[in-house]
Amino acid sequence: MVIFGLLRNRDDAMEVAQESFFRAYRKITSFHGQSSFYTWLYRIAVNISIDHQRRQKRSPLEFRESMDEVFEQQNEVAKDPFSDVHDRELREKMLSAIDDLTPEHKAVIVLRTLEGMSYKDIGEILGCSEGTVMSRLHYARKKLQNKLGAFL
Amino acid sequence: MSNCETTREILGAWLDGELVEAQAEACRLHVEACAACREERYKLEHLHATMQTVLNSSGSKVQFDPLWEGVQQRIAQQSKWYDELGDWIRGTFTGPRLAWAVPAVIVIVLAGLSIDSFLPNAKFGVQPDNLATVESIDAYGRNVALLHEGETNTTVIWLYQPQESENDSSTEPSESKPSF
Repeated sequence: MVIFGLLRNRDDAMEVAQESFFRAYRKITSFHGQSSFYTWLYRIAVNISIDHQRRQKRSPLEFRESMDEVFEQQNEVAKDPFSDVHDRELREKMLSAIDDLTPEHKAVIVLRTLEGMSYKDIGEILGCSEGTVMSRLHYARKKLQNKLGAFL
Repeated sequence: MSNCETTREILGAWLDGELVEAQAEACRLHVEACAACREERYKLEHLHATMQTVLNSSGSKVQFDPLWEGVQQRIAQQSKWYDELGDWIRGTFTGPRLAWAVPAVIVIVLAGLSIDSFLPNAKFGVQPDNLATVESIDAYGRNVALLHEGETNTTVIWLYQPQESENDSSTEPSESKPSF
C-alpha cells in the first residue's frame, strides 16, 4: 500500500513490491535487529520506490488512468453527481499535487498519512533525523495546501 | 519571528502528537487564543483527512497472490554474482550522499599523478631511473667514477683524487673535488 501510494501505478507497485521482498530474502543475514523487522523491510521498499521514481517518470495522464481504474474497481464513485464531480476533481488535484512533491517529501507524507508512523520510525526508514522528518512534513503539507487552495 | 509563525511551523507536529509536553502545551494555548492559527489547524486536519481518503482508497485492494508468485519466481531464478556486484555498486556509488565520491576519487588520482610537475623536489610520483648505476674504477693510477643514466643512456665520467688514508676511503666519490 505504501509502495502504491508512492508510485501510484499498479504494475510498477507490484514490480517494486516483489523486488523488495526478494531483496529482503537475499539480505536477511544483514538484518541484525538494530531496528524492528518491519522498519527494515519498509526501508528496503521505500528506497527501491524512491530509486524507481527517480529513474522512471511517468506521464500524469498515465497516472490518472491508473487511478481511475482503481476507483472504478472499488465502486467508490459517489452516487450524487455533484459530489461525484467534486470528489473526482479533488482526487485528481490531490494526486497531482502529491505527484509534484519530491520523492523524499512524498515518502514522509505517505508513511505518515497511510501508515500513521511515528517521526522516529520514518526517520529510521529514510535514514534521517526526527527533526528532518518534521521539517519535510511541514514543507510537504505547505506545498499541498498551496496547490490545492480552494479545493480544501 | 512572531508567535503565530512559530506555532504554524510546529502545528503539524502537534497534531501528529510528536511534540514534547511543554511545547505541545504552549502550542495548544496559542491555538486556543488565536483565531487565525485555529483556522490553520482546521485546514491541516482537513488536508490530512482528505489525503487519507484518497491514498487509502487507492491502495486498499492489494492482490497478494500475484505478488507472492512473482517473489517466488525471482527467488527461483536467483540472481547471478554480477547482478549482486551491480547492486552493490549502485547502492554504494549512486546514492545522493556518495554522489561526490566518483569525481573526488578521479581528482585525487589526477592530483597524485601530476604533483611532480608542481613540486619537482617532492618525491611523490614515479621517479625517473636516472641514477641507475654508479661505479668507481681505478684506471692507470687514477680513480674514475662512472655514472650511467638508465633512461637517457648518458655516461658521465669524472676523476677524483685518490684517498689519503683508510679512514677517508669511506667518503662518497661525489663529495670529493674533481681533479680537473
